[in-house]
Amino acid sequence: MSQIAEAIGFNLIVISPSVTLVITVLILLFFTITVETSLSVKKWITFLGILVTVFCVFLKFGLFLQNGISSYFTQKILLDEFSLFGNVLIAMILFLNFLPIWDTSSKLNEKTSEAIILTLMSASGFFLMVDAENLIMLFIGLEIGSISLYALAGLNRSDKLSNEASLKYFLLGSLASCVLIYGVALVYVSYSVMSFYDFALALAYTGPDIVPLTTFVGVLFIFVGLLFKIAAAPFQSWAPDVYQGSPTGYVGYMASIAKVASFIVIARMCMVSMAFILEDFQTFFFVVILLSVLIGSFFASVQSDLKRLIAYSGVVQSGFILSGITSGVNGTSASMFYLFAYILQLIGIFTIFSIISGKLSSNFEMDNINGLIKNNRFLGISFCVFMFGLAGIPLTSGFVSKFILLTNLWAYERYFLVSILLLSTVVGFYFYLRPIWIATIEKVDEPVETLLIKKSEYLLIGSLASLTIIFGLLPDTLINISRWVVQNYL
Amino acid sequence: MIGLTYSFILLPLVNSVFIFLIPKRRAELFRPLTIFLSLIPLGLCLYVFLNQNLKTSFYVVDEFSWISAYGIDLIIGLSGMSFLLVTLNCLLVLLSILSLNENHSFSKGFLSALMLLQASVNGVFLAGDLISLFIFFEALLIPMYFLMGIWGGENKRYATIKFILYTVFGSIFILAGTIYTGVLSYLSSGNFALDFDSLSSLSITSSQSKILFLLFTFGFLIKVPIFPLHTWLPDAHVEAPTAGSILLAGVLLKVGAYGILRVSIPFFTEGFIEYQFLIATLSVVGIIYGAVVAIVQIDIKKLIAYSSISHMGFVMLGISAGRYLSLEGAVIQMINHGITSGALFMLVGFLYERRHTRRISDFGGLKKSMPIYAGIFLFTSFASIGLPGLNGFVGEFMILMGSFPTFNLLSSIAAFGVVLAAIYMLWAYQRMFNGELTHEDNKNVLDLNSKEIVSVAPLLILMLFIGLYPSFIESYVVQDVSVIYESINNTIGLSK
Repeated sequence: MSQIAEAIGFNLIVISPSVTLVITVLILLFFTITVETSLSVKKWITFLGILVTVFCVFLKFGLFLQNGISSYFTQKILLDEFSLFGNVLIAMILFLNFLPIWDTSSKLNEKTSEAIILTLMSASGFFLMVDAENLIMLFIGLEIGSISLYALAGLNRSDKLSNEASLKYFLLGSLASCVLIYGVALVYVSYSVMSFYDFALALAYTGPDIVPLTTFVGVLFIFVGLLFKIAAAPFQSWAPDVYQGSPTGYVGYMASIAKVASFIVIARMCMVSMAFILEDFQTFFFVVILLSVLIGSFFASVQSDLKRLIAYSGVVQSGFILSGITSGVNGTSASMFYLFAYILQLIGIFTIFSIISGKLSSNFEMDNINGLIKNNRFLGISFCVFMFGLAGIPLTSGFVSKFILLTNLWAYERYFLVSILLLSTVVGFYFYLRPIWIATIEKVDEPVETLLIKKSEYLLIGSLASLTIIFGLLPDTLINISRWVVQNYL
Repeated sequence: MIGLTYSFILLPLVNSVFIFLIPKRRAELFRPLTIFLSLIPLGLCLYVFLNQNLKTSFYVVDEFSWISAYGIDLIIGLSGMSFLLVTLNCLLVLLSILSLNENHSFSKGFLSALMLLQASVNGVFLAGDLISLFIFFEALLIPMYFLMGIWGGENKRYATIKFILYTVFGSIFILAGTIYTGVLSYLSSGNFALDFDSLSSLSITSSQSKILFLLFTFGFLIKVPIFPLHTWLPDAHVEAPTAGSILLAGVLLKVGAYGILRVSIPFFTEGFIEYQFLIATLSVVGIIYGAVVAIVQIDIKKLIAYSSISHMGFVMLGISAGRYLSLEGAVIQMINHGITSGALFMLVGFLYERRHTRRISDFGGLKKSMPIYAGIFLFTSFASIGLPGLNGFVGEFMILMGSFPTFNLLSSIAAFGVVLAAIYMLWAYQRMFNGELTHEDNKNVLDLNSKEIVSVAPLLILMLFIGLYPSFIESYVVQDVSVIYESINNTIGLSK
């Protein structure tokens, strides 16, 4: 038996984060169905589950140190730097979002466990997705993760916008998944391979000159499916509506986790599998980046709803990250730094939004943050820090990430792209500074009422804001980590 | 020495946080405490001045490894020119806090934003590499955004956004230049070194030098501002609160010129030689244009704002001529303009507090009700026009004389700027102070009180001192200027 296990590479540690999450979900389900339990017990179970998940990610580090890059379960699950980085990011997102998600869920009353179960399930799916070596595994992970997100968007059933968001996300998302699985099928048709590494080997074997057309179409379709998840233009149309309609407390989680998982997979594909034929996709990526930056900047400048503004700004940021990933090894490492810094800011912003507007609201007009600095000085300052970070003002991590990304793009001789991205940061200053103006400078008409927040929220937002500044002042550690991720391909 | 240089940046930063943390109910503490706290950096300047030989060119004080993977260090250093500008900045911050009116002195946000501005401007002048220069260059937008946005005038929103977007638009060129330089330096030395030392030995081709010069200079010229890129300045000045205007004219405009002197010319000299005529032409257009537009202004603050464009045109003319004398004159004119325009904006602020108007036609005969104010205003106007014996004369004379051999025609035209300056300043003085008291409100205007006299007096003393003994500040800029001049001279020699 153990020999068979060894032969197929059976190893529980590599999938332990997903397994832990699923077990936590099962325990929660058990308590929900059978024994009446108080909410606080469930909260502790969930929190414990997330802590164990974080611990499991550490275990995977140990395994990596022992075995190096290795695949398990007959080339289904891969353990490499990208997957570890992805695991850390996903565990971090889960950990940081636990509080907003739980608070939002308790507002939903009878559906509390439903929401938290969906969250944990989606995280377990995305864990599998970043670990996937096999394209089918990638699809399964993506689907487990996404389907939970579709449901999460529509949990606030009494709200029309929430329903719309859910339906829209589901319909467009499944279309994207269809495209992706079709792409997988086409790749399989042309080379009869499913694994990332085997695909690279097959391409290397035939040589880049006689790659069949089906492969190109297939790879293109896979990319389209993934680009949909990161809301890169022209596949961004769902993002503003979904961000706006979903309960505010969930959006930080929904936005960040899908982006992280998809970017990690895209990076690995560009680095490992498509390395030989990536040149042929440069035009495609160039158009995507250009459209993302242009469409995102333009629409973000005219939004009056803050959640939509962040959604469109996310389109721009996706363009930035994508430009690094498609520009060589150093560009990819810069993108990994960018992704990390961006995720922290994104979660921070949405945590603040959910505190201000109530966890479930779908519309979040600019006026809602009017006088924020007077209502709660701490929230006001943190909000400014996150916005400055997104805009890329020096002394925040946003500047460092933009700087090293653009440097690497320039070194890769993509001058035109650099100038477009630089110009977009000017537009970015316009639309990121507008909310700051409203939050801090604009006169408040109504009497100020103080906004009280919990200690744990202070801790969460405070640490995210200080991380944004710390990574801006002392980025060395994180940059070294992001270089470690790609070190094998240098 | 290391700690001292850091403290020019860190002390204001700490002060800013400290002021912000005082609870609101102790509002009476804000102003005295801030005055005390901003005395410390100025005291440090004095200490450094007494104990250190500052008549040097730029030397590195400390390095700090920032991104080790790319070999990027943050470096701070000091030179005579930097020291003068830092001192000017510290002095103007202290004086503008001294001159604050009741509204602002009870707002800790305002005070800590001023301190933050002081820290970042000091950072620009002390930066020893392109990255830290850029970081501080852009970081000063944050305090300016709040200073202009929260405490600005009626049309503040438009002016603030315009100011920010103009500066950011310029700074992306500087960022592009920084990145390009970094990549070139990486290709030649294998290290992403951007410090001034290694840049001066970086070998680049002539076309690269031209591109880099254009990138950096464009960004800095917006900040100066030079003629077609100046439109943010009048709006920003009119809408900014008095303290903001003082610092904007006094030191922020110098950031651009400083950048050109420190980065564009010494490192990309070939580009400078290629484009010096263009810059000189634009500066002369700016001198005349600023002066002519200043003549027809009806708002006294706007008049001074346009006069700034004219005066900074002189600075740019001196720089672009590339002669030893004209470069020295340009640096001295930078300091002088900081002193005079700071004083003028402060004086206009005093008047505005009393009358809540800045229209020249609302005044008239003020000399009768405010004799001290009128005297100080006339004195400052003379300094600004460039009356011999006062500071304005020194710089403009050196610039005109120094740039004549290079640009005969242009500097002859520029000389008319001095005449025009006399027209707009003295005509404005005449309309505001001479004649009969035509407006009822002007009869009971109080003259300057002792607090206000104290806050403007140091600037008046400096105007006279520099006017009579210019070789004092000249001795501090000699080394800096000779480094720049040598780099120009060497390049000309090479091309011949």
